[in-house]
Amino acid sequence: MFEAHSINAEHKDLIHDIAYDFYGQRMATCSSDQFVKVWDEDEHENWHLTASWKAHSGSVWKVTWAHPEFGQVLATCSFDRTAAVWEEIIGEGSGPGERGMRHWIRRTNLVDSRTSVTDVKFAPKTLGLLLATCSSDGVIRIYEAPDVMNLSQWTLQHDISCKLACSCLAWNPSLSRLHPPMIAVGSDDSNSSSGGKVFIYEYAENSRRWAKTETISSVTDAVHDISFAPNLGRSYHTLAIATKDVRILSLKPLIESAQTGLSRFEITTIAQFDDHYCTVWRVCWNIMGTILASSGDDGCVRLWKDNYINNWKCVAVLKGDGTSAQSAENAVSTPPNSSHNLGAQQPLSTTRYYKLGSISHPNQVPWH
Amino acid sequence: MNSVKLEVQWSPVHSNKFITWGTEICLYEIAEIKDIVRSSCTKVSDTTVTHLLATNTSHHYVKCIDIYPLSDPDILLAVGQANGKVVLTTFGPTAFDSLGLTGKELVPKHARQCNAVAWNPVDFNLLVCGLDKYRTDQSLLLWDILKSPLNTDRVHHYNASQTESIKPLAEAGVSETIHSLAWFNNEPKCLIAGVNNKQLKIIDFRDPVKIINSTPTKAVYSVAVNPHNNYHLVSHVDNQITIWDTRYFEKPVLTLSQTRQVTKVLWCPTRHNLLGSLQKDSGSLYLHDIQHHGIGGEDTEPGALERTIAPPWSNPTSFSWHPTHVNRLLAISQQGLTDYTVYERITLNWSTRSHLVWNHASKSFKYICNNDSIYKALNDISISTKSRALAEYGLLPELSQNGELAEDETLKNLWQWLYLSRSLVEDGTIPSPDNKHPGVRTVLKIDGQNSNGSFTKSDVVHRPWTDIGSNHTAKTYRSPDRDKALQLCGWRFEKDTNAPYNNLFLERLEREGAYPRATAISVFNLCLRQAIEILNRGASKMSLLTNLNIVAMALSGFSEDKNSMWRELCLKSRSQLSDPYLRATFAFLTADNDSYENVLNENGMAVEDRVAFALMFLSDSKLYEYLKKLTQKLCDEGNLAGFLLTGASLEGIQLLNRHLEITGDVQSCSLIAIRALSPKLLQESQVQIWIESYRGLLDAWKMWTQRAHFDIAMRASANEKPPQQMYISCNFCGKSISTLIQGLSRARGPFGRLVSTSNKLKMSACPSCRKPLPRCAICLMHMGTVSGLPVTSGTPSRNEEDYKLTEFSNWFTWCQTCRHGGHANHITHWFRQHSECPVTSCTCRCFSLDASCKIGVGVV
Repeated sequence: MFEAHSINAEHKDLIHDIAYDFYGQRMATCSSDQFVKVWDEDEHENWHLTASWKAHSGSVWKVTWAHPEFGQVLATCSFDRTAAVWEEIIGEGSGPGERGMRHWIRRTNLVDSRTSVTDVKFAPKTLGLLLATCSSDGVIRIYEAPDVMNLSQWTLQHDISCKLACSCLAWNPSLSRLHPPMIAVGSDDSNSSSGGKVFIYEYAENSRRWAKTETISSVTDAVHDISFAPNLGRSYHTLAIATKDVRILSLKPLIESAQTGLSRFEITTIAQFDDHYCTVWRVCWNIMGTILASSGDDGCVRLWKDNYINNWKCVAVLKGDGTSAQSAENAVSTPPNSSHNLGAQQPLSTTRYYKLGSISHPNQVPWH
Repeated sequence: MNSVKLEVQWSPVHSNKFITWGTEICLYEIAEIKDIVRSSCTKVSDTTVTHLLATNTSHHYVKCIDIYPLSDPDILLAVGQANGKVVLTTFGPTAFDSLGLTGKELVPKHARQCNAVAWNPVDFNLLVCGLDKYRTDQSLLLWDILKSPLNTDRVHHYNASQTESIKPLAEAGVSETIHSLAWFNNEPKCLIAGVNNKQLKIIDFRDPVKIINSTPTKAVYSVAVNPHNNYHLVSHVDNQITIWDTRYFEKPVLTLSQTRQVTKVLWCPTRHNLLGSLQKDSGSLYLHDIQHHGIGGEDTEPGALERTIAPPWSNPTSFSWHPTHVNRLLAISQQGLTDYTVYERITLNWSTRSHLVWNHASKSFKYICNNDSIYKALNDISISTKSRALAEYGLLPELSQNGELAEDETLKNLWQWLYLSRSLVEDGTIPSPDNKHPGVRTVLKIDGQNSNGSFTKSDVVHRPWTDIGSNHTAKTYRSPDRDKALQLCGWRFEKDTNAPYNNLFLERLEREGAYPRATAISVFNLCLRQAIEILNRGASKMSLLTNLNIVAMALSGFSEDKNSMWRELCLKSRSQLSDPYLRATFAFLTADNDSYENVLNENGMAVEDRVAFALMFLSDSKLYEYLKKLTQKLCDEGNLAGFLLTGASLEGIQLLNRHLEITGDVQSCSLIAIRALSPKLLQESQVQIWIESYRGLLDAWKMWTQRAHFDIAMRASANEKPPQQMYISCNFCGKSISTLIQGLSRARGPFGRLVSTSNKLKMSACPSCRKPLPRCAICLMHMGTVSGLPVTSGTPSRNEEDYKLTEFSNWFTWCQTCRHGGHANHITHWFRQHSECPVTSCTCRCFSLDASCKIGVGVV
C-alpha cells in the first residue's frame, strides 16, 4: 500500500496554507494558531523546521513567497485585518561554513483593510514587486514597492471594490506582453442569487486603472480558491476554480476587442467535477499546467489531467491521511444509507431490562 | 413513524458506547466493521457498525438525559421526565444498584416538566435540573445523590426510594422557566442557565439567591460552555446562534444568523472554538469556526469561518460529538444513525520540483514526489521535460540525435525530418536560401505567402505497370517541385533515370519489419511484382497472424479490368484488413477514375506517405485542396507530423503552439524553434514566450548549465552576438576599464598577434589614471596580476584563447553587499572554512547571504 511522505507539522491549530518558494526547496505554512513556519529541505530530501514565529494576532489565512530575485521574502494575511511582508535576515552564526541563524523580520504591515484579509499574492516578477490583497469586505488592494531594495516602503497603488466578500485571488502568470496584467478574484458569498462569483480584472494601460472585464456568471456558488494554470504560451488562459465542484475554465481573448482597450474573452467551461461532494477547498496546478490537484470535503486530494483536447479525467485519488485510493471508484462513498433502522430492533424491547451485551465485570454486579 | 424527537449522546467515559432516546432509551456499542462478526449489527458508516447492547423502556416521558461522568464500566443515567422527576437509571443490574442509586427519584415539590439535567463535571455527586415555571416555586434544583437521607438507610432503600422524597441541596430561580443549563468547566457550584425566554443567568450555588451575572437575550436554548475556554458560551434561538463572553456579558460578542431555524448547537470537544449546528429541515451539518483575535482588544470583533457539509445522512434530529476522537460525531434521524468524521480543510500546493504537499489536519504534512510510484503513474510531462533537459535534449549537434533522446515516436520523426530537410537544403537539392526547413507547401509554393498563381504546372505522365507485363497505364503527375517535395517526404527518387524510388529505402523498411508499408510504397510506384516479393519475404519472417502471403496471393490476382470479379471481391473484403497500408494498397488498386479518397484519408498511414502519394497521383488543383485540408486538420490536432507540410514557417509556429496547448511540451517547441526557425521567425512573440517559459522552468529547477547551453544555442541561431554584460570602471577616476582594454587590443591591430595574450592580463592599474586596480582580499594581488599557473603560454590553438581570457578560478568576484572580493577560487576556498568576509573588521556574511547556496544547511 502506498503511503505518502510525512512531515510533523507542529502547528497547534488548523493549517490554512502551504506555499513553496520558486525552487520548491523551501516551504512556508500558516495556521489558525497565528504562527508562520518555514521549512527547508536538506540535501537528503528531509524537511526541517527552520523558523517559526507568531506573525499575526488572528488566524493566518495565506502565505506566499516573492520571486527569489527580490530576496527571501514572504507575505502573509490574516483575520486580524492586516497583511504583512517578511524578510529573512542572517544573524550571528556560530561557526564557519554555517548559514548562521536566520530570522524573519516584519518589513511592513499593511493595515488598510477594515476586515479580515483573505488572500495575498505577489505579482509575476515581470510586473515588478507588486502585491495584491483581497478582503472580506470586497476590496482588492494592489501595493507596490517602488524600490525593490527597500521592502518597508509599500504604496497602495489601487483600491478596487468588488462589492462581494472576496475569498481568493490569483494573478495571471502569463509572460505574454500582448495582454495586460490580469487578476482573477473569487467570492465566498454563499447567496447564489447575487450572481457570478468569479471576477476578472485587467489593468488598462491608458487609463492606468484596474477594471473589471468579466464576471463569470456560470459560477454562482461560494468560491474558495482560484488558480491560473502556468501559461507557457498557450493561446488561452486556463482557470481552475474551487467552488461546490472543481471547475476548469478556459478564457480565450477575442482579438476584435483589442481597440476598446479592455479585452473580452470567450469563456468556456472545459471540465466540471463534483467528486468532492459539496465543497472543494483548494486547487493547484503542476509547473507545466497539465495536471490539476484539488482537495475537498471528502477528505481526499484528487488529481485531474487532460488526456487529449479537453478530455479531463481523474488520474489519482489520495486520502488526506496519505494513503492512496488510486482508483477513483474507491473514494466514492456510498449514498445516504437508509438501511439503518432502529425500528427493526423494537420487538426486542418489550421486556423491561433486556441486556444483549455481556456483562463486563460479573463479579461486580450485586444481586438482591 | 413517531413524532418523538430522537436524541443521541456519546458516553463521556466510554469511547465506544452511546445512548439514543426517543420513546425508549437504547445503549449501543460501536465497533470497527472488521472486528465484528455478529450479524445483529447495523452499519453506521463505511468502517463502523453498532450493535444494541440494552434497551430501557421504563421511562416514558423522557425530556432530557445526562450520563454520569465518573469512569465506570457501567452507565448511570439521570433522566429528566415530563412530570419533573429526575430518575437515576441503568441498563440492567450494575454496580450502582448496591449504592442505592439505581431507581432513585429526585422529585420536585410541584410537578412540571424537567427541561434540563446536568451532572457536575467536578463533583460527580452533584446533579442539577432545570424545570418549567410553577408559581413561586424554585425551578433550578441542585441535588446530591449520595448525601440524601436515604443513603444512610440502606437496608430498605428499595421501597423507600419510591415513597420518600429527597430534599434538594440548593434551590434557585423563583418562578422562572429554565430552558437550558450548563456547568462551567471545573466549577463545582457555578452554572449558566437560560431562563424565561429572556435571560441568560450565571448562578453560583454557594449563594443561590444572588445572580452573579445576567444578560437579556432571547437566545436561551442549548446554552453551553466552550470546553476549551470557560469564558465563551453559546446559545441559540430561532435562526440565530449567539456567542457570549462572560467578561463582556452585556451583549453577544458574535451573532451568527442562519437561514433556517437552529435545532441544535454543540461545541466540538476536540477542537478549539469549533461549533457544530443542525438546522430545521436541512440535511447539512453547519460548522462555525469562531475566530478571535487579539487579547481582549476593544475594537476587535470575532468572526466565524462557516462551513456546510453534507454527510451521507438524511435530516438528522440530533447529533453528538465524540468526547475524544477528533471531529467524530454521531447523528440520529428517523432513518437511523450515522457515524461521521468531519474532515479538516485540506490545503495543498505543488512545487516546481514536482512535490505535491497537503496537510493532514493540523498534525502533519503529507507529500508525494516524482520518485513515488503514484507520481510516476501520473505521466507528468514536467518529469520527462526535466530528464530530457538533463540529457541535453534539443542541444545535441546532430538534429536527429535529439529525437532519440525524446523517447517519443512523434518527436523522433520530427527531429528526423528536420535532419532530412536540412541535409536536402544544404546539399542543394532544394534551393532555399533563408529557410533551412521548408515544408512541402513551401516547396510547392502553395503556402500562405505565395498565391495560387505561382504554383508551377505539372506534367501528366502515363506510366505503365511494367513489371506485370501489362500495357495498362496509371496517370501520374510530375514536376520539379513535386520531386523535391517527394524527397521531403522521405521518398528518394533517382533524378535522372525514371526509376521512381531508391531500393535502399524499401530495404530499410523491410529490415525494420514494416512489410506492409514497403508493399504499399512499391505498389504506389507501380511495381506490383516487387510488392508481392516483399510480402512473401515478410510472410516468412513475420508471425502467422499477419497473413501476409494471403495478401500477396490476393495482390497477384490484380486485374485492371473495371468489372472483374477480383475487383469486386477486393472492394468487399478490403475493410477487413487490419493494416492501414494494406488497406490503402487495395484502395489504390481498385480506385475509380483517379479518385483516391480511400488512400488519402487512410489515417493509419503516416502523413508523409499520404502526402507523397498525393504528390504523385493528384492533379494540381486536387493536390492543392488536399494539402490545404490536411494542413488544417493536422494543425487543429496539433499533430507534429504536419510540420512536414508547414515547414519552419508561421504556420509551423501555429502548429507547434497547438501541440503545446495539447501536450504542454514547451521544451520541444522552444528547442525546435531555436534549432530550426530562421532568425526572423525566432522574433515572433509566440516563440519568445515559449523560450521565456522554458528558461523559467530551467531556472526553477536550478539547471543553470542547461540554461546556459540553451542560451548559447539560441544566440547562435539568432545570429546575434551576446551584448556585453559586465563593465569594469576604475574606483578612482570612474572611467571604464573594459572599453579601454578593448580599445587597446583594437588599436594594436595587426601587431596584436606578436604580443602574447597573457600580456593583456598584466594590466594591474587603471589605464587612464594609473591608480592600482582592486586587490584580492586573500592573496592581496591586484586585479590583472597573473596568478597561479599561466594558462595561455605555448597553447597552439590561439583562436580559442581569444574567447577564454583566463580560467574561471582566476576571475574576480565581489560580494554585492560589502563590495569586498577577490579571485573566485580564493574566495570559495575561504568560505569553505569561514562565514565572515575575509577583509579584516568586515563582519559581512557574504556567502550565506545568497539563499540559494546550500552549503551547511544540514548543520542548522
